[in-house]
Amino acid sequence: MWDNLSLKEVVDYAKDPYPSIRQWIKDTGKKAVGSTFADVPEEVIYAFGFLPVTLMGTNKPLKKAPSHLPDNACSLARSNLELVLSYEGDLFDGFVLPQVCDTTQHLSDIWRINFPDKYVESYLAPRQADRPSARYWVKEEIERVMASLTKWSGKKITDADLNEAIKVHNENKALLKEIYEIKKKNPAALTNKEFFAMMKLSQQVDKVEFNKSLRKIKDSLKTENGKGYTDVVLVGITCDPPEIYDLFDEIKLNIVGDTLLVGTRYIQGVVSANANPIDALTERHFKRGFFTPIHDNVYKNFEEVKALYKETNAKAVIYVHIEFCESQEYDLPDLKAMIKAEGIPMHTLDTEYQTLSLSHVRTRLQAFFESLKGGTL
Amino acid sequence: MSEKLTSKQLSKKITDEYMDEAFHAHELGKLIGYSTAISPVEIFVAHDIVPIYPENHAVANLTAKKGAELCSITENMGYTSHLCAYARSDMAYRKSGITVTKGIPEPDFFLACNAQCFTLTKWFQVLARKGNLPVFVFDTPEHIMDKKAREEIVKYCVLQLKELISFLEEITKKKFDYDRLREVMKYSAQSSILYKKFLDMAQYKPSPISIFDELIGMAIAVYRRGTQECVDYYQTLCDEIQAKVDQGIGVLPKEKEKYRLYWENLPVWFKFSDHAKLLGSYGGVILTSLYVHAWSFEFDLDKDPLVTLAENYVSRFSNSTIEDRVDMAMDLFKRYSMNSMIMFMNRSCKAVSFAVPTLKDILTKKTGIPALVFESDMGDQRFYAESQVRTRIEAYFETLDRLQAKTA
Repeated sequence: MWDNLSLKEVVDYAKDPYPSIRQWIKDTGKKAVGSTFADVPEEVIYAFGFLPVTLMGTNKPLKKAPSHLPDNACSLARSNLELVLSYEGDLFDGFVLPQVCDTTQHLSDIWRINFPDKYVESYLAPRQADRPSARYWVKEEIERVMASLTKWSGKKITDADLNEAIKVHNENKALLKEIYEIKKKNPAALTNKEFFAMMKLSQQVDKVEFNKSLRKIKDSLKTENGKGYTDVVLVGITCDPPEIYDLFDEIKLNIVGDTLLVGTRYIQGVVSANANPIDALTERHFKRGFFTPIHDNVYKNFEEVKALYKETNAKAVIYVHIEFCESQEYDLPDLKAMIKAEGIPMHTLDTEYQTLSLSHVRTRLQAFFESLKGGTL
Repeated sequence: MSEKLTSKQLSKKITDEYMDEAFHAHELGKLIGYSTAISPVEIFVAHDIVPIYPENHAVANLTAKKGAELCSITENMGYTSHLCAYARSDMAYRKSGITVTKGIPEPDFFLACNAQCFTLTKWFQVLARKGNLPVFVFDTPEHIMDKKAREEIVKYCVLQLKELISFLEEITKKKFDYDRLREVMKYSAQSSILYKKFLDMAQYKPSPISIFDELIGMAIAVYRRGTQECVDYYQTLCDEIQAKVDQGIGVLPKEKEKYRLYWENLPVWFKFSDHAKLLGSYGGVILTSLYVHAWSFEFDLDKDPLVTLAENYVSRFSNSTIEDRVDMAMDLFKRYSMNSMIMFMNRSCKAVSFAVPTLKDILTKKTGIPALVFESDMGDQRFYAESQVRTRIEAYFETLDRLQAKTA
């Protein structure tokens, strides 16, 4: 199903992966377990023989979700609820949903109440990450979710199952990292949209199969420098709708570094293969980059962005803000000020999952880069 | 012999003395810790740290209708209008000095307990960056229903309380005194019982108190828990209300008390007295909300103080599952004989409000009572549509009247 995809097919599947997931479930008889951003240990779900699918909203109309979540809830939360309430609910036998911010505080409850026939479990990610108790808690949570999945599935997994899942996931991240390196140096080899479609699809389909496609695609990429590209760093949580990447491609921006959950923060999730698997999964949590809904220091975010900007010789930073993401909204003014004080050109994009018209985004982006070339920023 | 002070006089005295101590804390060799309203203040009291609640200060300004003016200042600093009005008004106060009180002293550090929301953590982080000060996050995972998970959550919270104590020892250079904590816990336990007794007097008919009395009466429970004066205050308050009960004095006269209302969420602070008058004109009295009950702690003094602190703080309504919130509300509906409800969707408080539509559906189904739902903001008048809210309240009472006539 996903083992021999071309670049174009990756983009198509990433835009709407659900028909292929539906077919795969039919063919394999396996169950799909959905989750939302962020930090749910997908290796654990995979080790039980389920397909872990990260839900990333829908561009289809919101019909039912607004009666459960008001319009000042982040559009990703509303969009994910809609996806399952109206469109793809039949695909999933269960969900493991993380709680990372005020919007997601009661999300598991809302899903559990709305989907009484499905398995719904919370993943209570710690919102502090700077003290020993956080390590204790992550481990407890991984073990609790494992016990819960065991109870639901009737299956008990072994260390060998977990290690195999870790291997498959690590391989996926390694391949994405290699392809990212090729893209950074050879912007004409593949577009931003193609690359981030790989990142997205990796979190939604079977990795054993998809890794085969990634390997072939990697081997087939031509090392083409291309001309007229401007290197940029992309900062934020996620970047949606995917057509935003079309705008970057149109004006020949080359994303050479990012901090996105659908980007570098995902591939930072490599788990040590030489340790007790649960300890290794726990340790991974603390090795990932800054994530605004966790109590973390914005200075750390700034240092990450500054380092990326310098390492990659980028020309500007683009910050993607999801409308109504309160965590981002508390951090952004200070982050902006720090980046500005460093003399780094920065442009902020305000996005919503249900956005259909991107003309204003295009105009602002074009204006920013025109003025950047003119040296007026 | 001096005459015994009334609860109102006592509240003023306690507050004045508390603020006086706060403004002179450094001269007294004490540190000031900014705290969230729901946080284990007992540990502060035991360690001689003065707790200051920016939320309380925000409430004073928002109740005095300063919300729009203050929030606009923060928005001009680059923050969006979607953020909590407490946070926006506080950040503006720091920039402009605008306040209806004497203001609050500057902090030495921050304690953010996310049992009420994660917003406070982000807000405190913003303040901490300005002064390069430490923030301690007491992370309380949602109090999910599984018994074993709850035990694990409490263990995690106890570990954090120990980390908090080490953090305080480090910044104060003073050893923490567990015996003193046990003493403080006794006062906290006593005052919590009395505070709950006060709230529960709303079950009398006619009710001697409304939520507006409770919102005024809860202030001392928020910031002076763990002290003898807090116990004395609630004893005085309970005695006063009991005297009203004995004389049959209600918020509304018995024959006029028609609708005994439940309120979901925080209040609309700047509409405090308007709402009381408007509802009263229809024979309505708001008896309670889960919000005012958030400080009805039930400390078990036979347990390790850190365990009973963890158990209580993690299980507040705002950190409980929707199903548990339904059970808590249903208990109040039954005990207080409530027959109507107002569900406020508060734009300022995502953590509490996003559960409201689901909560409302379940409560109306379980009680058979129709609900009035309205959306506004607890502090920013720009999100309050006067005529719309008034019309909806009128329509709601008409519906209730019709239903009551049918069943009569």
